[in-house]
Amino acid sequence: MMERIIESLAQLFLLLALAPLVTGVIRTLKARLQTRCGPGVFQPYRDLFKLFRKGMVIPETASWIFAATPWIVFFSTILAGLMIPMVAADAPLGLFGGVLAVIYLLGLGRFFLALSGLDTGSSFGGLGSSREMTISALAEPAMMLAIFTVAIGAGSTGLTEIAGAAIGQTWRFLAPAQMFAFAALALVLIAETGRIPVDNPATHLELTMIHEAMILEYSGPYLALVEWAASIKQLVLMTLLINCFWPVGLQPTWFGFGALIGIGWLLAKLLFLSCAIVLLETVNAKMRLFRVPELLAVAFTLGSLALVSTFLF
Amino acid sequence: MTTFFDELHVLFPDLVRSVEETVPDQVVVLLNGPDVTAIVRHILTAHQGRIVTVFAEDRVNAEGVFYAYYVFDRPGDPSWVILKAPIPERFPCFTSLAAELPAINWQEREIQDWFGLEAVGHPNPRRVALHDNWPDVHPLRKSFPLDTVLPPFEGERHVYRPTYGEGVFQIPVGPVHAGIIEPGHFNFAVAGEPILYLQLRMFYTHKGTEKLFESLPIHRAVFLAESISGDSAFSHGSAFCQAVERAAEMEVPARAQFLRTILLELERIANHVADVGAIANDVGFVIANAHAGRVRELLLGLNETLTGSRVLRGMIAIGGVRRDWRPNQVEAIEKTLKVVEREFRDLVAILQSSDSTRDRLEHTGILRPEKALTLGIVGVAGRASGVDCDIRRDHPYEVYSQLLFKVPVYRAGDVRHRMQVRIDEVGESIQMIRAAVALLPDGPHRAPTQPIPPGRCALSAVEGWRGEIVHWVRTGEGNRIERCKVKDPSINNWPAIVEAVEGNIIADFPVINKSFNLSYSGTDR
Repeated sequence: MMERIIESLAQLFLLLALAPLVTGVIRTLKARLQTRCGPGVFQPYRDLFKLFRKGMVIPETASWIFAATPWIVFFSTILAGLMIPMVAADAPLGLFGGVLAVIYLLGLGRFFLALSGLDTGSSFGGLGSSREMTISALAEPAMMLAIFTVAIGAGSTGLTEIAGAAIGQTWRFLAPAQMFAFAALALVLIAETGRIPVDNPATHLELTMIHEAMILEYSGPYLALVEWAASIKQLVLMTLLINCFWPVGLQPTWFGFGALIGIGWLLAKLLFLSCAIVLLETVNAKMRLFRVPELLAVAFTLGSLALVSTFLF
Repeated sequence: MTTFFDELHVLFPDLVRSVEETVPDQVVVLLNGPDVTAIVRHILTAHQGRIVTVFAEDRVNAEGVFYAYYVFDRPGDPSWVILKAPIPERFPCFTSLAAELPAINWQEREIQDWFGLEAVGHPNPRRVALHDNWPDVHPLRKSFPLDTVLPPFEGERHVYRPTYGEGVFQIPVGPVHAGIIEPGHFNFAVAGEPILYLQLRMFYTHKGTEKLFESLPIHRAVFLAESISGDSAFSHGSAFCQAVERAAEMEVPARAQFLRTILLELERIANHVADVGAIANDVGFVIANAHAGRVRELLLGLNETLTGSRVLRGMIAIGGVRRDWRPNQVEAIEKTLKVVEREFRDLVAILQSSDSTRDRLEHTGILRPEKALTLGIVGVAGRASGVDCDIRRDHPYEVYSQLLFKVPVYRAGDVRHRMQVRIDEVGESIQMIRAAVALLPDGPHRAPTQPIPPGRCALSAVEGWRGEIVHWVRTGEGNRIERCKVKDPSINNWPAIVEAVEGNIIADFPVINKSFNLSYSGTDR
């Protein structure tokens, strides 16, 4: 019991501390590719620190949903983060739920974000909410199919089992089912984390925003919570992707010297994935909004193929 | 000119009082009364004329009347036709032509707001330049002192056309926007994502520039002209100086004309490069913007070397330019252009090899050629939609008649072709600057200052990077301006955005808007 609590606390700390860094690394790499210096990898920490000390402006039209949303989003994302294997294959809260719980905890946060976008009565908020819902409604099935593919391989939807089954079988990644599922999940990751070509996290143009449009009315500590949650969500999805399909370096437990090796591997894999995301963001323009469903349809098709090929090969 | 004069006299013996050409290539037709409809129709049909601008002047103190001026451009003829119609003070109204000529819709309403002359029969006679909550004053009348302090505004707000229907709603955007841009209100009626129609409201930065001109000595007024639209400082400055020089029959030294031409083209290149990057930026292709920013920086640095100002301010002067260039400054032009040419070619290659960017830009925000023609769209936006007009070629000024250049014209009218016009023009401009540098004569860079004779009028047009900039001046006593009309191309082109966004999705509006990149300050003045 004590071990579980220590594990949970360790992973909680890792989630909170690492998430802004991942965002910072992605931004800095992007800036470098654009021949800019960028503000440095630690800027997201400074931003959070600044926002937490600021006052808030709350729209007159906002109801309790507006105030509750940052907390719900933040805690549901943290909870989801504790259910995935990060350093050890055994997820701290793995007993409470598997991959379905993770997906729907993230879904809960998104649902409230969309509500709060509508709640403020601002035209951009509604615009963002409707777009976010359209996209997530298409991303979710693709994600499910990809996840089921790995779950079938492991014989369980528990992430501990999925990661455990994958450890040791290094070349399993090349199985058709795995590759299709990986591709599907990677596309979903881009859509869910609001990156180019689906959404542009760096834009100031309200009319083109998706995620940012929903949170336009937030300021101060609430904005900090929402921003922090967004980067944690990004970390959770990235970790899910790399640890389900490429579990190399995943340790059996959080304890002992192995944990450091596990953290080292995690950082290395996250850096690798970040580079891939940055490259994709740099060489692509943002898609026309109505082409995004096509991209997600591709993800869905890949997910279906993955599932089918599980039984074929 | 005689033939045109005879033609008007034969066709409209009762309407035309006199035709004169005091300034070369500017035919002023003085009419007997305020009704211009018949003559305008004749110019539009028989001469395929294009209305350039319409404006008014208060001559009540001097002649007891207001004048309305209608400026026309006739294809293939380098002279301007200016109809000058007296409007008696006792009947302060004129016949509106906006129903036939949507191009002057806003400009007629400006006359209404600023002079209190009623545009009879205007399809939408509401206020435009002075917002609805302004008191009933007419600032451009001579009887309105410049230092008038108006009481705090109260009163009705502008009412937008309402939107009905299931799932149809309005999205108000602005007037204050994200980013460092000026204010303007966009009211979208949308059905989900597709835009049903867009209503614009401008003139939030109305500064009374035309009134201010009347209070300044001419050498100070040049600075005011430069600040009409910050990105076209040199073009607006030249348009103003040329108008004064023509009115005063002042000879500008050849070297000064070459220097001006080079600077006009440098202004165009810098803005076009920035726009190409900004269009890419608005579709999320940030790397192209980063490169464009770098290239633009080289050009702004060159501007600074040549004039001391990155945006070419403080260089233009009546009778020439303020400073001459040393040989090493002239050499800097070619040095920079060489790098800019190579780097810009790379940037264009990056843009053209990016499928995802092309997918966003092609078929987005289409402005059809027929529409562009009716709305009187000018400049880059016009040339991308088949409107083949370029002041540099049609009414050459400075030394453009000595330079060879192509005017890129496309008919597709989408965002991609508005970008393509800019890309083509950058190439042409680089060659023009090279040719001008090669031909650069020695001599003075500025005509000796001389007093400007009063009571002279002249028109001047400059092809700014955005489109045609028109200034019309009447000189006054004591080296002052009595009236200066300023027409920025933006005022022609805002309605084009309304046309171009229809049927597009709202997420594409920013890039469509950017492909026009109009000036709020130039519109509002």
